[in-house]
Amino acid sequence: MPEQLGEYRRIAVLGGVYSNAPALEATLADARARGVEAVFCLGDMGGFGPHPNRVFPLLREHGVLAVQGNYDESLASGRTDCGCGYTDPRDNHYAAISYRYTFEGTSTEHKAWLGALPRHRRLKLGPHRVLMCHGSPRVINEFLWESATPDGLLRHLMERAEADVMLCTHTGIKWHRALRDARHAINVGVIGRPENDGRPNVWYTVLTAGPDLTVEFVPVHYDHETLAREMEREGLPPEFAETIRTGWWTTCLENLPARERARGKY
Amino acid sequence: MSAPAVTRAPAAPAPLAPFVGLSTLWVQITGTWCNLECRHCINASGPRAPWLKPLDGETIRRAIREAEDLGVKEIYFTGGEPFLHGEILPLLERALDVAPTTVLTNGTLIGPEQADALAGLAARAPYSLEIRVSLDDPDRARNDAIRGEGAWAKAVEAVRRLRERGLLPIVTATEITAAAHPGPETMHGRFRDFLREQGVERPRLKIMPVFALGRQPASGEVPLTEEDLVGFDRSILQCADARVVAAGGIYACPILAGLPGARLSRGSLAESFRPAPLYHPACATCHRTGMTCRNS
Repeated sequence: MPEQLGEYRRIAVLGGVYSNAPALEATLADARARGVEAVFCLGDMGGFGPHPNRVFPLLREHGVLAVQGNYDESLASGRTDCGCGYTDPRDNHYAAISYRYTFEGTSTEHKAWLGALPRHRRLKLGPHRVLMCHGSPRVINEFLWESATPDGLLRHLMERAEADVMLCTHTGIKWHRALRDARHAINVGVIGRPENDGRPNVWYTVLTAGPDLTVEFVPVHYDHETLAREMEREGLPPEFAETIRTGWWTTCLENLPARERARGKY
Repeated sequence: MSAPAVTRAPAAPAPLAPFVGLSTLWVQITGTWCNLECRHCINASGPRAPWLKPLDGETIRRAIREAEDLGVKEIYFTGGEPFLHGEILPLLERALDVAPTTVLTNGTLIGPEQADALAGLAARAPYSLEIRVSLDDPDRARNDAIRGEGAWAKAVEAVRRLRERGLLPIVTATEITAAAHPGPETMHGRFRDFLREQGVERPRLKIMPVFALGRQPASGEVPLTEEDLVGFDRSILQCADARVVAAGGIYACPILAGLPGARLSRGSLAESFRPAPLYHPACATCHRTGMTCRNS
């Protein structure tokens, strides 16, 4: 029996919540106002931000359909690290602080919910067959950066997955590539931290079906100052709060490719 | 008196690493031809009669074409010293049409014209160009004791030149001088401070273990056995998703390129897509350290 896929005309897709409850609230309100039929989240609910339990009621009350990220998998399975895939010791140092805090602060019930999330989701958006994943269709924590993801690789992954549209997150910076064969690859960005451009807003994506696909990246402004203060009160590293306030990444950036790294301050 | 008969158990076949798909193509562009002769070089590269010959441009173009069709994610050029190859710039340009591309260099041949050309390539290319400049110690004397007189000054100058043109080279070191620096300051920390002193605002680093082969063969590593690998995910080894084109064929990994035991095909990449034998003591270093030759 062929799989029955949900069919939609207009959806919102967000990535990387990173315990940023105020940004999640603002994103959900914005998406509702745009008349989307459903909201999807590509995983990594925790990490970086304060009070990890706060995002789960929002996700559940709003019926957000999620896929599992590496952070979710690690929390659910009791792993000792986030599985983010960093290789630099300074990046790993900060990732470990964040993971320890998030692991201790996430309830057993929420961990179980994360553990039950699917790794992929498929749906139809008008005529387009959509595949959702966290890192890439093949590896949960694969980094697909705009300047480091070849067209040939995207075609290869999407042919194997029998998808016309591939949606991913994990890197923290959005991009959209329309391939020559009418396929689309989209990194939807993250709502948990700004994208290293000197602006404190975050981004999510609205997709609308038509003869071709319409992809809108939507900026979300939220009360980032209050979030930064909460992070400081919780004893999270001041470097994290600095990123929330300034929009520049201060940690976990050693695996940025040259082009993306050159756009940042650090 | 005759020598006592030696009875030995037949050697067990080397354990295998699975092949999961081509993610990384390495191009051993100059073989072992190099203008330096570093004390710890993994393939004993040097200026005299390279034991592994450089590749011609057509072999490289063919491998890149094949890799593109196979969905390669990234391409690396190494040697030897890649900038000794007469076609390095057009080949980098061709690779960058297909995938993000990295060149591993000692930096000594990156003068103002080469730096301008690389900046032009980086600006035009659809994907990131990465330049890895080798330096083994921030200290000139300690570095040059390993890499040869004058190597430090030229490499540091190359880093400055690239930085001035908006490129962000990745300084690549081995842990060979780590023992010379006891105390809490890590190699990463020392290199970062050093590069900031040179005016590099966004220092990027790659620090690798020293491998037991080439000019540094002695170490405690012995070849892996099946027993060593119980409970270990072999698919994280770089030979599970990388292949190297070098003189003589396609090899399992950049460390072992050119060695007959690591050759998986004499021609096409697709023919090399089979499990790789983990036969060399250097395979034990990868297993022990979880290391990859990739940028990250």
